[in-house]
Amino acid sequence: MVITRYHPVHALLYLAVSFFASSMVFLSLGAPFVAALEIIVYAGAIIVLFIFVVMMLNLGNETARQEREWLKPKVWVMPAVLVLLLLIEMIILLFSNDTEPMQIAVVEPRKLALSLYGEYIIAVELTGFLLMAGIVGAAHIGKHKKEELHRFLQNGQGDQQKTKRTRKTKAITNEQTALHE
Amino acid sequence: MTYLQFLAILPFIILAAAAIVVILLIAFKQSHTVIQVTGFIMMCGVVFAMWYVRDTLPRQVPPLLVVDGLAALFTGLIIFSVLVVGLLSYIYFEEREENPKEYYILLFLATLGSAVLTISRHFISLFIGLELLSVSLYALIAYLRNRNNAVEAGVKYLVLAALSSAFLLFGMALIYMETGSMEFSAIARAIDASGMSILFVMGIGLILVAIGFKLALVPFHLWAADVYQGAPAPVTAFIATVSKIGVFAVLIRFADAIHLQQNVLAVTIITIMAIACMLVGNILALMQQNVKRLLAYSSIAHFGYLLVAFLSGNAGVGAAVFYLVAYSITLLSAFGIITLLSTARRDADDLSGYRGLFWRSPLMAAIFTVALLSLAGIPLTAGFPAKFFILTTGVQQHRWLLVMVLVLTSVIGLFYYLRVISTLFASPPLTPVKERTLHPFFYVATYASLVVLMCLLGWLGVYPGFVVENVRAFLSF
Repeated sequence: MVITRYHPVHALLYLAVSFFASSMVFLSLGAPFVAALEIIVYAGAIIVLFIFVVMMLNLGNETARQEREWLKPKVWVMPAVLVLLLLIEMIILLFSNDTEPMQIAVVEPRKLALSLYGEYIIAVELTGFLLMAGIVGAAHIGKHKKEELHRFLQNGQGDQQKTKRTRKTKAITNEQTALHE
Repeated sequence: MTYLQFLAILPFIILAAAAIVVILLIAFKQSHTVIQVTGFIMMCGVVFAMWYVRDTLPRQVPPLLVVDGLAALFTGLIIFSVLVVGLLSYIYFEEREENPKEYYILLFLATLGSAVLTISRHFISLFIGLELLSVSLYALIAYLRNRNNAVEAGVKYLVLAALSSAFLLFGMALIYMETGSMEFSAIARAIDASGMSILFVMGIGLILVAIGFKLALVPFHLWAADVYQGAPAPVTAFIATVSKIGVFAVLIRFADAIHLQQNVLAVTIITIMAIACMLVGNILALMQQNVKRLLAYSSIAHFGYLLVAFLSGNAGVGAAVFYLVAYSITLLSAFGIITLLSTARRDADDLSGYRGLFWRSPLMAAIFTVALLSLAGIPLTAGFPAKFFILTTGVQQHRWLLVMVLVLTSVIGLFYYLRVISTLFASPPLTPVKERTLHPFFYVATYASLVVLMCLLGWLGVYPGFVVENVRAFLSF
């Protein structure tokens, strides 16, 4: 349902439902910690982020139409075949009985936290820097788009605002004319 | 973590702090100049910290890091390159970008990633360092929003780097499955005990693919020319020097730990890659009219030469380090000239723009000529002893095929470097003089640093002994 919906918001809601479902699977397998993490991390943070993006980009019927155009058989046949192969592989594995049961070692949250914040503290901090790089980069490139639109509007309508931005564009157009001469 | 361990990673902590300081300065609305100067001072601080802690090296910081002579050398080289790139960026971004401040955060973060690569002895730190480097680079490449080229280059790099990260992770997972460890030394012990299985070899292969992407080795070089062309000139200099130095450092450390050079299959594959690099890089550059693309192809060829030293194992590390020193100084001065010549609309990457540069600006033409001669490996420039050391190690290891290809392709390379130089001295067309809007101090500083780089090139070319001795001293730690 997630990938067949044309409207992004509907698709996202189905995605949330599927996350809840998979966390229930973990719970029934006897891993309550992973189930909780699944809900907190995926269903919580990522969905909120997705919805933010959808709202900020202001998608409407236009995108739904575009999606409908993109979702042609030509596009989804190859991935579907690959997924089908995986499914067949899994079914074969399920019905072949010669596998020994896997040794499951339950790792407690406490142990995990201790190794993350003890031994691997440097890795955790570096990951923080990694996120910072991502956020700064996204903020910078995201800011561009708005300003670019702004500039086109200014070019169209003449002198509305005397900002630093307009002065720069004027300098650029001056240079262009100088080059033409 | 003990005091000595903390001391050993002090330079890297200062490097990380530099990014935070820049963010705080932006928050307090400081000007571009303040940020630039602070960044410069912080980088000098890193160098001093490195100097201060050199007696405590080598020091293990288990489980992730090790700071030793190799790491100190490569980090020093990285910081030196970043100092020059930062200086070039000031003029470049002050002229074209109303918002040049975030650039420094990303620059320092990418540097941190590269520096972490040089000290990593564990797959986790390797991966995080590499990601830190690439994520910052995505944004740096696409930093100038008005240029279609820049955005295209950024997206290309994003897709390919993400793909190569996937390869890297898969390779690491396979190796972890076989050996049960992610630490280089533990992996080495595991394969000593049980030999290499087929899955382990596949893992190594996948990791080599990822590293090949980052170093732009043939056949994973397709992004190089477009990204070099699309990225802003200082960022291109950064990609060509800092990011490749970091990745090469971790490659050396990993190969050293698992004795990659004694595995026949790996040696065959790397030999083929090296030959392909030298041939493809030099041949593609032959008729190139775009200076940035030309430098991209020439850097592919140069990493082919470096692989020759890399294949010699421990004996080649000194030669490789010296080559990287010469190569980064050369490329930094070449990109410095490109930065200075660039206008606000586009980078000076068309060869016709360089026509008769000597008659307009003899100093710039001289620096550019020396840089190109050094790339070509002409005597009296740094490129000559560098190439000579690589040839020596190749001959000592009896890798005759590689040595022959190296010599032949160097001759091909000479053609296009000389073609650019002849353009510099041709009769000039009438071109409008570039208008200068900034305070002259920054131009003087940039020129001065470029002249210093040129003198370094000459000094390394005439008297390489000092640097060679120091490299050897550091490596013996």
